[in-house]
Amino acid sequence: MLTPFEKFVFFILALISAGFTLHGFVTIIRTIRLGRPAPPLKNLPQAFWKAAVTVLLQRTILRTRKLLSVIHMALFFGLITYAFVNLMDVLEGIVPGFDLVYSGKHVPGAPLALVRAYNLISDVMSGFLLFAITVFLVRRFILKDKALTYRENVLLYPKVKAGGPHKDSLIVGVFVIMHVSAHLMSQAFRLAEGPDPWMPLASFLNSISGASQIGVHIAWWVSIGWVMFIIPYLTRSKHSHFFMAPVNLALAKQNPRGQLDPAIPLKVIDGKTFEPGARVITDLAWKRILDAYACVQCNRCQDVCPANFYGRPLSPSALEVNKRYLLKDATFGGHPELLQAPLVEKVISPEAVWSCTTCYACVRICPVGNEPMADIVDIRRRLILEGFELDSGVQSALQSLATNGNWMGKGRRLRGRWAKELEFPIKNAAEEAVEYLWFVGDTASFDERVLPNTRMVARIFHQAGLDFGILYQQESNAGNDVRRVGEEGLFEQLVEQNLAAFGRAQFQRIVTTDPHSFNTLRNEYPQYGGRFEVEHYTMVLLRLLEEGRLTVKQRLSHYLVTYHDPCYLGRYNGVFAAPRKLLERIGVEFHEMPRNCENSFCCGAGGGQIWMGKVPPGERPAENRIREALATLQSYAGNGKKQLFIVACPKDMIMYSDAVKTTGSEGKIEVRDIIQLVAEAVGVVEPVSEAGA
Amino acid sequence: MHIVVAIKHIPSIADELPVRHNNIDFDSVDFVLNEWDEHSIEQAVLIKEAVGGTVTVIGVDVIGELDNALHLALAKGADRAVKIAAEEPGADSHQQAKWLAEAIQNMSPDLILSGVQASNDLDGQLGPLIAAYLDLPYIGGTSAIEVTNGKAMVLKEFPGGIGMRYEIALPFVAGVQAAPKPPRYAPVSKVRQIAQTAKVETIEPGEGESGGLRFLKMAPPVVTGHAEMIQGTAKEIAARIVELLKSRGLL
Repeated sequence: MLTPFEKFVFFILALISAGFTLHGFVTIIRTIRLGRPAPPLKNLPQAFWKAAVTVLLQRTILRTRKLLSVIHMALFFGLITYAFVNLMDVLEGIVPGFDLVYSGKHVPGAPLALVRAYNLISDVMSGFLLFAITVFLVRRFILKDKALTYRENVLLYPKVKAGGPHKDSLIVGVFVIMHVSAHLMSQAFRLAEGPDPWMPLASFLNSISGASQIGVHIAWWVSIGWVMFIIPYLTRSKHSHFFMAPVNLALAKQNPRGQLDPAIPLKVIDGKTFEPGARVITDLAWKRILDAYACVQCNRCQDVCPANFYGRPLSPSALEVNKRYLLKDATFGGHPELLQAPLVEKVISPEAVWSCTTCYACVRICPVGNEPMADIVDIRRRLILEGFELDSGVQSALQSLATNGNWMGKGRRLRGRWAKELEFPIKNAAEEAVEYLWFVGDTASFDERVLPNTRMVARIFHQAGLDFGILYQQESNAGNDVRRVGEEGLFEQLVEQNLAAFGRAQFQRIVTTDPHSFNTLRNEYPQYGGRFEVEHYTMVLLRLLEEGRLTVKQRLSHYLVTYHDPCYLGRYNGVFAAPRKLLERIGVEFHEMPRNCENSFCCGAGGGQIWMGKVPPGERPAENRIREALATLQSYAGNGKKQLFIVACPKDMIMYSDAVKTTGSEGKIEVRDIIQLVAEAVGVVEPVSEAGA
Repeated sequence: MHIVVAIKHIPSIADELPVRHNNIDFDSVDFVLNEWDEHSIEQAVLIKEAVGGTVTVIGVDVIGELDNALHLALAKGADRAVKIAAEEPGADSHQQAKWLAEAIQNMSPDLILSGVQASNDLDGQLGPLIAAYLDLPYIGGTSAIEVTNGKAMVLKEFPGGIGMRYEIALPFVAGVQAAPKPPRYAPVSKVRQIAQTAKVETIEPGEGESGGLRFLKMAPPVVTGHAEMIQGTAKEIAARIVELLKSRGLL
């Protein structure tokens, strides 16, 4: 089809395009390799296979925004089809006589059915693509969907602030429209023998335009010319997403969610030494750099971020986008000195760094497997090491943890004091062998508002004849939130203290009250040599009921309840069933909130937030959650049942009891620990002296 | 510029204070760095960061565990750590001041800082006594010290939010009420690293009595009575209050 001169021009342009594309990819790969070593990956072929299936089924995208996800699907399959279409178009251009219209009847030996299928699919997909890209362009530029924007207070890289990502979207949007239209027109101009039933769209266009040889040439050049421009451009835009997202998904975190990557890479190569944590972008693991190229700024992470929810200047998506713009300027833009720019100046504000609750919602929701939370913890680690002025509450919590082993400023010896007010003694696991070592945790050991629940757990374990003990003053904070606030050294000290205490004790498994302790004991202590079976008390209670060691004497059908999944129990460790089965056995009327299980909304206390001295104004996540619970239960109310907000975490008891007060919901809903319901159902009561105190 | 910070290791009040044989049971209580000393260390490091020099931290090792506090001070920016190995947990501020003054005398300091008080004695005497032994001027209750050309501008706090600025020639002794900035946080990894590498110098305490106070007796406060919780309806409670006020001749 093409004239020899046209072919010559095409080969020259294709060569230039391929050169820029190669340069783009080599630059990206080199940049990623500047990052620190990441934890080694296992079973890569399997991981890539899994990622391919996930991408083809668009599984991770369909988690939320269902309608837009389906349109993304049309775009995705459209572009995949077009990779093939472009190949065919090029072949039609350069191979004499290769012509696929009219089912390829002019090509000797062409498989009729296959060509028909190709013609139909590419024709229909062209329509889908045009539709999908139009929807996305209308959403971004006409409806100006707020989900695609950032809060005023979020730090943005100058080019991001100037609308760089929107420009990228516009360029790629215009490309898709022009490219697809041009391809369709080139097909339409080819139909000299009337309509082709296997090419309905092209036939329709042909009915308007008619056939034209010059038209074919022009349309072909517009269609293929765009491709030769856009492919190298993609490597330099946020649409590196097209190539890097599937790769990133295949290389995504393999370790348990609750296991943070260490502050210094475990695998140290070439005798390099590393300062813990991240000051500049190359201090991050290579996977964190890859994250930036995979992100297409859909902002789903921002939607689920509790910090962003209440107006804090944190957007996980902005972090990724800023990173990519910084990398682009440092590499393609010729400013390598930017690689040495502090992250807290260029990509995320210190205030945003300190407002993360480490709830993992952003990582869970990310369709491409990014871990913005891991960047934040790494940045915290270095800030702490370099003497960044900490929030006074965080600092005094850390100082108390270093001296007393708890964050409340209470003496170590007072840790087991709550047990003295029980009617029976609790074994000291450091002195006599027990089956269950109960790791109580700070809040459950010291906070007056939680102590009645702690004692109730003890009474029920006692009633069930469980052989259990506690470590009294030898228990220290498990360090989950210490690690997530970035104090790796203190975390290691606490781990050592606890492992030493465990070493003095004899037990078969650990049960915890606190989901945060549960998480680090289960997922992180093994890396320090502490391999134990760890359970949350809801899991143990369920087993005691199932084994008949506890019996429900009274079904609590007079309660109308909903349940809040604690981040570190649910999203991090997948313990969704035990508390729900408990509620079922107890016989309460139970209804799910819209955000439940994996989608549970953080109470706002995690990652050290509960220690913060300064609390900014605005509706706090816990208050929003109480309103969600009230709205959920409202539709079932009216039968006089008492409404309860059930928690399974000592911190939640505090956060939500406060939120009930601050939202003026007293009398409408009451916060109870699941242990209180179990106690009522199995008929264990507080002795009068304590109840009256 | 040589700044010497005199610190105290005192019983922690995070625990309940066990009393035995008329005194604190020193074996069953943790010792911690005096809270005000955290400010005097911070103040010293801030001066050093502003004008250069070295910071020496010195304290009486009353129970043999002062190293932790000294390592913490080194992690925060002090250059030299010295302990006076006395192992006398009950040593009061008079005794400690005598030992400290004798040791500091040989260090030719330009400025001596101490926490303005400590929660064990609460007499605020350590600084003034060191000043008296060394025959130096003393200023207490400082909230900011800036050093320039052999002189210091000192902000001293008075009750009622009144502050006064003093210009004082070096050397002198200051009792620090607060550093101008909150004491910095020392990351545990840094403290542990210092604990492995840093050397704490040990000196023996001097001979001789310090005079001062003589310890007679210590006992927990005796509970003499407690509040009566009035219960009942509003009317009953009101009646009871009136009755009580009348019985005390107040109505």
